[in-house]
Amino acid sequence: MNPELSPNVNEHLQAVEEAASSEALLHATRSLVSLCAQLEPHSNDQQAAILCLLELLGTNNPGAAVAAVDGLIACGNAAVEPLLHNLDEHNYGARAWAVRALASIGDPRGLPVLERAVATDIGPSVRRAAARGLGNLQLEQLLAAERPRIVERCLRGLALGCADGEWVVRYAAVVGLEGFLPQASAAGIPGAIAKEGRSLLEQRALTSEEDTPVVYLRAQQALENLSGAR
Amino acid sequence: MDPSSPQGTPISEEEALSRLRQQEDTSQRYYAAWWLGRMRSQHPEAIPLLLQALNGALDAPSNDPDLLFVARNATRALGKLEAKGALPPLLRALQHPDHGLREAAARSIGELGDASAIPALVARLQLPGAAEAASGGLRLGEPCEALLEALGELSEGQANPELSAVLEGFQHHSRPVVRSAACRALLQLSGDPRWAEPMLTLLHDGQLQVRRAALMDLGASGWRPAGQALADCLAENSLKLIALKGLVEAPLGCPAPQALGAPERELLNLMDQLL
Repeated sequence: MNPELSPNVNEHLQAVEEAASSEALLHATRSLVSLCAQLEPHSNDQQAAILCLLELLGTNNPGAAVAAVDGLIACGNAAVEPLLHNLDEHNYGARAWAVRALASIGDPRGLPVLERAVATDIGPSVRRAAARGLGNLQLEQLLAAERPRIVERCLRGLALGCADGEWVVRYAAVVGLEGFLPQASAAGIPGAIAKEGRSLLEQRALTSEEDTPVVYLRAQQALENLSGAR
Repeated sequence: MDPSSPQGTPISEEEALSRLRQQEDTSQRYYAAWWLGRMRSQHPEAIPLLLQALNGALDAPSNDPDLLFVARNATRALGKLEAKGALPPLLRALQHPDHGLREAAARSIGELGDASAIPALVARLQLPGAAEAASGGLRLGEPCEALLEALGELSEGQANPELSAVLEGFQHHSRPVVRSAACRALLQLSGDPRWAEPMLTLLHDGQLQVRRAALMDLGASGWRPAGQALADCLAENSLKLIALKGLVEAPLGCPAPQALGAPERELLNLMDQLL
């Protein structure tokens, strides 16, 4: 028991710690996650819950990990620093979940991790999550003067994702580009970037360039959605 | 599936071919055989070298563990490369005393897509003791799961009452992964959704390994109504994405999609949530 935490949070953390079966762990995690949304941002309670969720990413329990990622996403920007400081270098399953949480939160502080992950991580699931995240950074959180450089870096990462040897990373990069392009144009980004992003998508949509049907179908869908949204 | 395999440093196609050609270092040959399949090598020497590696083990007078070690990977690679001409040696491998080689051969025969192999697969399943625990209970007498899955691949859409009867014999097997494989094959053969039900139930099994097997079997069957259930299964997203890809690309009972329709969009949407 940690005296600095509210009894309710202590109780939930203890339930996770004492879970004796994978089912009990899943149940305890889900119940901690549903509490997360009500915790005051940056309070001790929230920080303790975040650290507990981070540990759950490394357990061999996909159900609990999925729930923990949802909890971290619900904590939003408050989870970013702890996520960046607790990346597990030795467990790429855990790293994939952490990158996935960063990708969904979309805080620009995550950019260096996403860039490095898409370029060099040996786990396809990590590169996949990073590619999607590069298209989901919340550009409006940046100063106008910073935007062009950041957007350029995102596009470089997405281009790497589009050229990856694993279909699932290319798929994620296509989804990333679909999110990235409208955001980039809303942020007033030079036309050349938008053009390059679009041509990356057009390439993925061609059956002569892309050999995996699910990837070219998804790229075709992205192009349709983008022209519909215009 | 794991890129960080033994000597996991990236190598070139030429390097892989020369590692498979040399005979001194078994682990180099093993890695090279894996690499050629994994990278879908189109090099004209790839298939002949893989066939040599397989035949080397088949022609050996006794079970040489080094030759078998390489032959199992060569067998898997021949399936991945869909080497049609490899069927005769693969059928020989299906009769080999080594369980692992028979298992690899069964999977690759399924990947070649030649229905003339069906009787040979069925014959293995019908051997006495095929479905009973062997080698101290670790595995069955025959690689039933691989045999059943291959039969599903080869018999899609062909009404075949005799084959159905054989497959139905496995629907109450004590091992859930074998039941799942049998139901997958029956679903592929008949298109009858009642065979999907047991797999949908196994998606909720208490064992992760069983949930994974049912997930991959439903994905491979191409039975699209399973989409949401696959997305909701408590398993790794990477496996769910592979399973859903199967539903998009090879739907059961209809041709591969040439363009996007509403059903494809729905499945792609499920995949997007898992990235």
